[in-house]
Amino acid sequence: MAFDFSPILGAWPFLAKALWITLLVSLLSTAFGLLLGVLVAMGRTYGPGLLDAVLGFYVDSMRAIPVLVVLIWGYFAFPLLVGRSVDAVTAAVIALGLHLAAYAAETIRAGLTSVRPGQMRAALAIGMSRPQAIRTVVLPQALIRMLPALGSLLVIAIKDSAIASVVAVPELMRQSQILAGKTYRPFEIYTAAMLVYFCLCYPVARGVDAVYRRLAPLGSS
Amino acid sequence: MTFDWSVVLDNLPLLLQGALVTVALTVATMALAIPGGLLLAALRLSPVAVVRAAATAFVEFFRATPLILQLYWTFYVLPVFLDVRLSAWTTALVGLTCNISAFNSETFRAGITSLRQGQWNAGLALGMSRPQVFFKIVLPQAVMRVLPALASTWVSLFKDTSLVSVIAVADLSYVALRLRAETYRILEVLTAMAALYWLMGYPQAKLVDWIHRRFKVVE
Repeated sequence: MAFDFSPILGAWPFLAKALWITLLVSLLSTAFGLLLGVLVAMGRTYGPGLLDAVLGFYVDSMRAIPVLVVLIWGYFAFPLLVGRSVDAVTAAVIALGLHLAAYAAETIRAGLTSVRPGQMRAALAIGMSRPQAIRTVVLPQALIRMLPALGSLLVIAIKDSAIASVVAVPELMRQSQILAGKTYRPFEIYTAAMLVYFCLCYPVARGVDAVYRRLAPLGSS
Repeated sequence: MTFDWSVVLDNLPLLLQGALVTVALTVATMALAIPGGLLLAALRLSPVAVVRAAATAFVEFFRATPLILQLYWTFYVLPVFLDVRLSAWTTALVGLTCNISAFNSETFRAGITSLRQGQWNAGLALGMSRPQVFFKIVLPQAVMRVLPALASTWVSLFKDTSLVSVIAVADLSYVALRLRAETYRILEVLTAMAALYWLMGYPQAKLVDWIHRRFKVVE
């Protein structure tokens, strides 16, 4: 069969914009997921037992339900419940973020509990308040120790952003589908999209490893 | 707004049938992806550089691209390449198996390489035969290390099967999305779908936690 990559070259501004949306959705959902993940992890580690149980239920539920289902429910069903519509990009960022936060929370919680309790006691002994000790002593070490795992969450976020195509977010996957439908060149277009995703994810995974090697001593104690 | 849950009850057999497809796809994929992962792990430890490089490329590629795109790719590109028309179910199985095999191979590779050579040497020095060392020392430890990671992959796989709905495999999410379009009872149908996934997935997530605790490696 003959390959014809001209549809991709011809439509490159279209695809570049799609790539930008992919980056936007993955970065925003990672940021939201990490922020929520830190809060959930702190709530479960330092909060009262009831809070731990409630947040644990949230985390385990997100580990049980596919991200596609969270997204579809959030985009199609949730607006009916509250009586106002949500735009697709916002729905995608929130749904992907909520899903990611559960995994981030588990990772960060493991990091928090890996910091020896003596450090907390030492911080309290030199007159720090508990929140201060958590913020300046325990959390930074936990985050550095968990950097490789958190980096792989970014890779997961980039890959999961492709699922947003299902609710018509104009990201790379969705726009590739549109282009493939218009030009009847699915082979070239999906292969190119695949390579672009690979070029996004692979360096991130390797880059995080490289950064971690630099920072690892800061997290050891 | 009023809700009409009867639509869920009326179509429960359909939804359960979809759930059955989801479970069947998960089991079939894992059954293929364990040997697939072992094969890839073995190829990556091969003495031939070209074989190693090819296996590594396969693994890294499938780990670094979205599964939904891999499914599309398998659906549109594979038939053209191989000049065969695969059913949607087979396509989904092939796509998922390639993806999960790549992840499994990393698990197996980590399990194999984490056991120090010294353990072999110690076993042999005690007068054990090689098969004895393998079955009594190496294999039990490797299983302990591999099982928790495999269990986690199992749950991700169970969740990821929902993506096959984009190539029209009649799994739970596909059935629910079709019912949504047919009945217009969007909230009820989608909530039922989420609840069914939750009912199946929650015990699995808990089981994985238990496996992680039970098989925790302490050195």
